[in-house]
Amino acid sequence: MTTLAQPRLRIDWLGIAFAILLSAAIILPLLVVATWAFTEVWRYPNVIPQQFGLRFWGATLNRSDVWSALTLSLQLSTVVTLLSAAICLPAAYAFARLSFPGRSILFFSFLAGHAFPKFGLLIAIAAIFLQLNLIGTFWGVVLIQLVGTLLFMIWIPVAAFQGVDRRMEEAARDVGASPLRVFWSITLPQAGPTIAAAVLLSFVGTFYETEGAWLIGAPGIRTMPVLMISFINNQMVVQYGAVLSLILWVPSFIALMFARRVIGGGAFARGFGG
Amino acid sequence: MIDATDAAPRPLIDTTARRRPIGLLLVAVPVFLVAWLVIWPIISAILRTVWRPDANGTVGFNLSSYVFFFSDRYSLDNLSVTLWTTITCAALLLLICLPISLYLRFSKGRLPDYVQAMAIFPMFVPSIILSYAFIRVLGPNGMVDILLNSVGLPKIRTPYLTPWGPVIGLVWDNIPLTVLILLSGLGNVANQAIEAARDVGANKLQVLWHIILPRISNSVLVALSFAVLGIFSAFTLPYLLGPASPEMMGPFMQRTFREVNDPLNAITQAVITFGFCIVFGLFYVRSVAHNQGK
Repeated sequence: MTTLAQPRLRIDWLGIAFAILLSAAIILPLLVVATWAFTEVWRYPNVIPQQFGLRFWGATLNRSDVWSALTLSLQLSTVVTLLSAAICLPAAYAFARLSFPGRSILFFSFLAGHAFPKFGLLIAIAAIFLQLNLIGTFWGVVLIQLVGTLLFMIWIPVAAFQGVDRRMEEAARDVGASPLRVFWSITLPQAGPTIAAAVLLSFVGTFYETEGAWLIGAPGIRTMPVLMISFINNQMVVQYGAVLSLILWVPSFIALMFARRVIGGGAFARGFGG
Repeated sequence: MIDATDAAPRPLIDTTARRRPIGLLLVAVPVFLVAWLVIWPIISAILRTVWRPDANGTVGFNLSSYVFFFSDRYSLDNLSVTLWTTITCAALLLLICLPISLYLRFSKGRLPDYVQAMAIFPMFVPSIILSYAFIRVLGPNGMVDILLNSVGLPKIRTPYLTPWGPVIGLVWDNIPLTVLILLSGLGNVANQAIEAARDVGANKLQVLWHIILPRISNSVLVALSFAVLGIFSAFTLPYLLGPASPEMMGPFMQRTFREVNDPLNAITQAVITFGFCIVFGLFYVRSVAHNQGK
């Protein structure tokens, strides 16, 4: 607001300071991890590793626990995401388009899971799973992660369905298209990208879900994040963790950036009550 | 809340009577899941900790697990380290995020875009990878030690496995949402209001204090509530970066439940965390419901 009078003359010192400080605090740690992943020998106090190489990529990928954790994590995320889509998308359509008694109270009931401290809630759920013998089982973890996806998978698609141009749907109905045909040819293509982004978010979110998997799944269910915890706790070879971080994080990062572009920053903040 | 949904688009072809059961049917499964796995566990946790058998086996109103918690030195230490961490994190978050959001609100160009991208970046880094990076950078002989050593300075006293470890990790993790929420609040501050104040001679500090802060106080509270809810019972970061004793409520509950195998006391601890966070939770729900209606 002050730049109108003297454009391009003032140097934005404040901005430069923020940029440098934030880069140091946020990019540096990740760069260090990336460097470790390509390092064979790095002894203190050298600033640069003595020897770079890919030896630990092979070593990490040859560990059977890594593969079983990866397979399990992918299975879990796929099952949770499919189940979540199957139950949430019809519900989202109903919330967006149909009127039924209790609609608003039910719509806001999905906030309940976010209004309590998460780990306290997990403990309360775990106490119930203990009686049902769901602790340490695949389906126990599926249930707990499914609950974690509900809010996103309902609220984002509701916004998507509400954003579809109703006049186009009615025009199609007027020229004789069946409701199913209208949904398939008009509604879905318009709401599709946002819904796809929500599905992607819930897949990636489930893949990285740590606390439920650790509390409900242990010791039988070892997902990727749970394996990372044990790598960190047992002070295993440094590079294993670095290689795993890199392999797991880069694809999900790209996916999340895509999702964020589709959904938009404003929607995120609004969803969190901003 | 009622205004919120009344304003939402209604079906144009009103076939309410015909569709009623279908709408309820379509939302039944997710609603059932929320009722079974969110609402019921909370009610059940409270019931099971206050209505249970005493030493003689008679079932009745019994608060002994709460009495134990509030008379046990170790539990109280854990509770106070949790409160300390939460308050410290909330204060640090405001100190860091408010200047960043103010800067972003009142600047345009590529540098602010970069600053915003940096501030939102941690949202895309899972906390497990953050913990790992933290240890490599701030842990013993980490990157910071290496850099200090290379310019001839002594090593830092590493925050790893001290109460400051979780604080640093949690602040890092919570920067994006805090900035986004504050920024969305600052978006509601009209430029005219600021210009008017400046026209009558207010300086920057006065504008901040009298014009901007009163208008974003709600967003500040939402950001704080969100941070408090996330930090109070955080598990992964305190578990990996914090000290073993005293520990924060998250790791404490996990250990009581899994390692000590004492569900009753674990649930008691959970109910106590609910109690400490209830105000923030209610405020958060109210604000989101209010905002959805806009």
